Amino acid sequence: MDHLERLEGDLSFVRGALDTSTRSKSPSALYILWAVIVLIGFALVDFQADLVAAFWAVAAPAGFVASAYLGWRHARRIGQASASDGRRYLLHWGAVLVVVALAVLLGTSRAMPSGTLHTMILLLLSLGYFTAGLHLDRTFLWVGLLMGAGSVVVTVVPLYAWTAVGIALAVSLSVAGMREGRSREATT
Amino acid sequence: MKRQPEIGSAELPLVELDDVLQHRARIGAVVLLARHEQLSFSRLKALLQETDGNLGAQMRKLEDAGYVAVRKEFQDRRPVTWYGLTAKGKRALSQHLAGLERLIRQARRARG
Repeated sequence: MDHLERLEGDLSFVRGALDTSTRSKSPSALYILWAVIVLIGFALVDFQADLVAAFWAVAAPAGFVASAYLGWRHARRIGQASASDGRRYLLHWGAVLVVVALAVLLGTSRAMPSGTLHTMILLLLSLGYFTAGLHLDRTFLWVGLLMGAGSVVVTVVPLYAWTAVGIALAVSLSVAGMREGRSREATT
Repeated sequence: MKRQPEIGSAELPLVELDDVLQHRARIGAVVLLARHEQLSFSRLKALLQETDGNLGAQMRKLEDAGYVAVRKEFQDRRPVTWYGLTAKGKRALSQHLAGLERLIRQARRARG
């Protein structure tokens, strides 16, 4: 093998290692946490609508802080810590949280009816997850697509649509979390 | 079959390639550290598919060249060695990659 071939082999090996290192970043616990939050929060719309605003006012910021902690702990545990990656995640999900909070303000100021508000929040989350799938972690991509489809379902189906969408999202997030755990075991 | 030009020959002069980075594990470690900022020894070992002994020796060479900084800490009562790229390491990688680009261009021209 000549020098040039060895060099090409080395570069291809380095590219492979780099691809493996950037493949998955989110811990399984994070998916399970949001599966539980989404399931409860969505089911409340059908069963206890007066508690929806209070639930999300607490669960969304608490989930955000818990997710940041889980991500930080996961990075240390797998031995791959990047401050710039952490900042990108915080900025993305922080922006989603702020936009949803501003949408809720529109709802409370009666600028928008509550039924429309819930669907709009689901659409915003769908966009948040979809763009996270594009820029941060590929796994979020199809959760975002599912949320987008869910926003159509809740406008068309009259009964228990939010609960059904919540179950579908909780299942998809749990499956994504389990797949992440398995693929990580395979690479470490 | 057409003869491939050798690096260092008249057709492919050895330009600006860093000797320290001309090893698969060392260039791999430096590229990974440029992307991720901080990596533990065990993470590097898994990603580069190296043995403890070999990776330890290669990381020591990078450390001696001043390309990586080492930080040791205890995590759940276990010692963990973290590596990060120094400013000198970043400069060396950048120059090495520029040299590789030039080399590849020259190789393409030499191959016709």
